[in-house]
Amino acid sequence: MSSSEQGHGDPPFIPRRFVVVEFPSPQALLDGTPKMREAGYAQLDTHSPFPIHGLEEALGLKRPKIPLIVLCGAIAGACIAYSLIYFCNVIDWPLNIGNRPAHGPPANIPITFELAVLLGGGSSFFGFFALAGLPRPYHPVFESNEFLRASIDSFFLSIELPPGTDAERALADVRAAGAMSAEGVAESER
Amino acid sequence: MAAPMLTPPDPLEPAPLIDGKYNDRDINNTLLAHVWRGAGKGWWACFAVALSLLGMLVISISWTLYKGIGTWGNNIPVGWAFGIINFVWWIGIGHAGTLISAILLLFQQKWRTSINRFAEAMTLFAVICALLFPLIHTGRPWFAAYWLLPYPSTNGIWPQFKSPLTWDVFAVSTYFTISLLFWFLGLVPDLAALRDSSQSKMKRTVYGMLALGWRGSGRHWAEYKWAYVLLAGLSTPLVLSVHTIVSFDFATSVIPGWHTTIFPPYFVAGAVFSGFAMVMTWMVPARRFLGLKHVVTMKHLENMNKIMLVTGMFVTYGYLMEHFIAWYSGDPYEFAQFYYTRMRGPMKGVYWTMIFCNVVVPQIFWWKRWRTTIPVMWVASIFINIGMWCERYNIVVTSLHRDFIPSKWENYLPTWVDISLFAGTIGLFSTLFLLFLKFIPAVAVTEVKELRHELAHDPTADPVGETH
Repeated sequence: MSSSEQGHGDPPFIPRRFVVVEFPSPQALLDGTPKMREAGYAQLDTHSPFPIHGLEEALGLKRPKIPLIVLCGAIAGACIAYSLIYFCNVIDWPLNIGNRPAHGPPANIPITFELAVLLGGGSSFFGFFALAGLPRPYHPVFESNEFLRASIDSFFLSIELPPGTDAERALADVRAAGAMSAEGVAESER
Repeated sequence: MAAPMLTPPDPLEPAPLIDGKYNDRDINNTLLAHVWRGAGKGWWACFAVALSLLGMLVISISWTLYKGIGTWGNNIPVGWAFGIINFVWWIGIGHAGTLISAILLLFQQKWRTSINRFAEAMTLFAVICALLFPLIHTGRPWFAAYWLLPYPSTNGIWPQFKSPLTWDVFAVSTYFTISLLFWFLGLVPDLAALRDSSQSKMKRTVYGMLALGWRGSGRHWAEYKWAYVLLAGLSTPLVLSVHTIVSFDFATSVIPGWHTTIFPPYFVAGAVFSGFAMVMTWMVPARRFLGLKHVVTMKHLENMNKIMLVTGMFVTYGYLMEHFIAWYSGDPYEFAQFYYTRMRGPMKGVYWTMIFCNVVVPQIFWWKRWRTTIPVMWVASIFINIGMWCERYNIVVTSLHRDFIPSKWENYLPTWVDISLFAGTIGLFSTLFLLFLKFIPAVAVTEVKELRHELAHDPTADPVGETH
């Protein structure tokens, strides 16, 4: 973690080091990623301009968390809406209009549904950005000039090297795993 | 020399989804080109017209707020007029965007990929135009607009939760919010592509900030795909609910011509019908002037025409059913509304325009020749836009102006304020749309790249993207 407000007592800045590797095709990336995992590199991530089918397996990811977050959001929305209407119409200020019941379930459905969608959709959007840790304008992988193409037409693998790992050995390993090119980058202090 | 196609052409459906052979970088460059290119004379000419209309909107809103809604043509019994006609018309136009982006995504219709960004942007801008009308029809929005939201106000009372008008507030505001989130979520990877292909530092910084530091991470994509598809899944019932609730504004009343159970499906079909027409009206010039012909092919245009034909038939069925029930119910007021007032009354011109534009015009799309002729489909789409506006005029004004007691009958004429408000929202919509076409890729670049890989590498993929 970089910090611009380092005082005298703070530990010295230790840049995070990455190896940024380019693969020639999505398939090469899919093949190369598990090889690197097997070689013992744990902090892997891929970078591609579009989602590639099978990346989850290649990276060894667990089930995505978003569906559960959305379900919770939608249920919360429905509960909030229904209980708010119930509170207003039945507890706080019941109005007798033509002797109709204060609690009219069918009339409550539309707003309950809309709020379930609003909070469900909102938790999908904000939940995703929270899980992804975005917005995050700077990331060490951006130090690689080649990385500009990761959003356009190239397929990258980034490996974070734990302190004390030999970068040269990692570069040799990725070349063996089918990489087209590879370079080591370090986080810049800002 | 014909451009080579990705897959062998199907003799029955020769138009491919991506015309010609392109790699990711070509797709990137061609689809972003219109953002990097300076604005041409044509763009400035359109923008000038749009801004002038927007100026009319500012003037007419200012006048309405200064003098009050007495400046509108509304009277008793025509208490609802242009305000709600335009509201329903604009909301309906928005619905095609959600249909294309969400429902066609869930049905795995590959052809949606090239037009979804465009249609979703249209949804957002149409809903902004629609939202203006309920706001300003209160006359004093700074007093009235927030009364519809449930908060403990000094009035000491709550909104009427049993009223469809209150449901409408929740439906439309949810619709706008979810459409915006869905649109932006789809846009983030493209903003990153814009950031990484920008030539100047300023552009790189602005698009970089908007891209939120997206780095195409596989860990992100894994969650992103779910977030995107779940937003689509939520938008699908949402879009149906929004126009259903809009139709409840009418259907739960006792006015002959409004009090009918067919309204929800008939409104939703009409919304999609008019929305596709509006997409067509903008897409035909845009694909030509922005250089998008290779990704928005004849296949896309033809599919949109087919959807217009189908939804046009739904709408026709709605009209038939309304007339049948008016006769079958034996209710003299219903009968008079449909067979005298609408067909032969002082506003019969609007009725017959509606029938011509919405029932007769789409029938030309039965012929493949007309479905694939660009000037024909463009003119037809404009007819449909007009016809759907006339439909709402018929429902709102024609139903109201002949009340139960003949002594209460009153004619309706819009004032210059009504007309400039309507023209002004067209200006607002066009201004926003032209800005969108200038600064944001009109086609979802990321999704087209994904589609290209899918088509190129999957031998079983349907070459023309039709999933039966």
